[in-house]
Amino acid sequence: MHARRVSTNSKITLGLLAIVLAGLAGLFIFVQNSGGKDQQAAADRVVRTDSHRLTAAEDGKVTIVEFLDFECPSCGQAFPGVERLRQEYAGKITYVVRNFPLSQHANAQNAARAAEAAARQDKFEQMYVKLFETQSTWGGQQQDQSAVFEGYAQQLGLDLAKFRADRDDPGTAARIRDDQSDGTAAGVQSTPSFFINGQRFDGQATYAGLKAAVDAVLAG
Amino acid sequence: MSGQVTAAPGPVVVPPDPTVPFAARIIGWVLAVCGAVGTAAALTLTIEKINLLTDPSYRPSCSINPILSCGSVMVTPQAAAFGFPNPLIGIAGFSVVTTIGVAILAGARLPRWFWLGLQLGTTFGLGFVHWLIFQSLYRIGALCPYCMAVWVVTIAIFWYVTLYNVHHEPLFTSWRIILRYHTVVLTAWYLIVVALIGEQFWFYWRTLVT
Repeated sequence: MHARRVSTNSKITLGLLAIVLAGLAGLFIFVQNSGGKDQQAAADRVVRTDSHRLTAAEDGKVTIVEFLDFECPSCGQAFPGVERLRQEYAGKITYVVRNFPLSQHANAQNAARAAEAAARQDKFEQMYVKLFETQSTWGGQQQDQSAVFEGYAQQLGLDLAKFRADRDDPGTAARIRDDQSDGTAAGVQSTPSFFINGQRFDGQATYAGLKAAVDAVLAG
Repeated sequence: MSGQVTAAPGPVVVPPDPTVPFAARIIGWVLAVCGAVGTAAALTLTIEKINLLTDPSYRPSCSINPILSCGSVMVTPQAAAFGFPNPLIGIAGFSVVTTIGVAILAGARLPRWFWLGLQLGTTFGLGFVHWLIFQSLYRIGALCPYCMAVWVVTIAIFWYVTLYNVHHEPLFTSWRIILRYHTVVLTAWYLIVVALIGEQFWFYWRTLVT
């Protein structure tokens, strides 16, 4: 029997794990340090001056921001309630929509680009409505639905050549990414995520749920 | 008769063969334990699938957050690669692996053709699991915890069956060196998968630490 000693195999394995652990620890410290500053700015980043406002309040008392993914089924479910709320509180609330396309939805990014391209022709709201009203026809599919969105652009009377150019413009992708990183900084993990005057709304994403929160702010 | 015929009644214990390296000797344990874990994971996934089928609003126990979510993975076409839910293959396959492992621990000696057949089966499992890893990371964009348990045990099962065969097949005599570094390869393999997961979902992980 030879003396029991640590084999080369164990040494290399433990070495590998140690290197990875050290790397993770370093990464963690790095993220923590850069995260502190982010936290303060995060609240201000929920809405930016160039964010899309579907409706604007005259007094600016209530601002609702929705981070959404046009393909996410729960966003589609929240949509009718949001529209009802927007109608009922027209002129009393500012409603802001921001992109948060999730990677598990194959066409979320395409849809966000289509909405952004429509925005460049001042038809963001129309495209937003169109995409949600038709979500069941194009959502949940693995194939590229860009052609479908081009059809919507035509129906909305957009200049198709400009629409295509804007959709494929790197600036459009960058804008969506900015929306997304603002959302991530503000703690958005799923869609739809609502913020009312910069405060995260944790209630039910329904007409009644949102209405109660808005009324509370208007009353207070 | 000489005095050596003292076969005491009782369990037959096969003494571990010291000439067989550790990496090949533990095959019985690897198959039994990993097979059991794989069977449990596949069984859970099947039960969750049935729950999801009977109640479309059912929220599977492993849907923890937007990334760790088997609900969104289970409804994809990739979750039924052969036209029926993948975990059914797992239940059958892992049960067999567990049984083989327990049989080996009980002292069973299996013929060469059996080991080569096992190599074939585990190689298929390995290929399938890596296809699923790719689909999960880069096509579906979500992770399913039970599926990941299956990834872990499938890789281990393949690796130790391969090592066993490398040791016992005369053709691979010159390859036997890898048996000495069995956990290095396995650890590196797992770390690569972990790194790919970390990279792909970095935007999400960083929200957890800040």
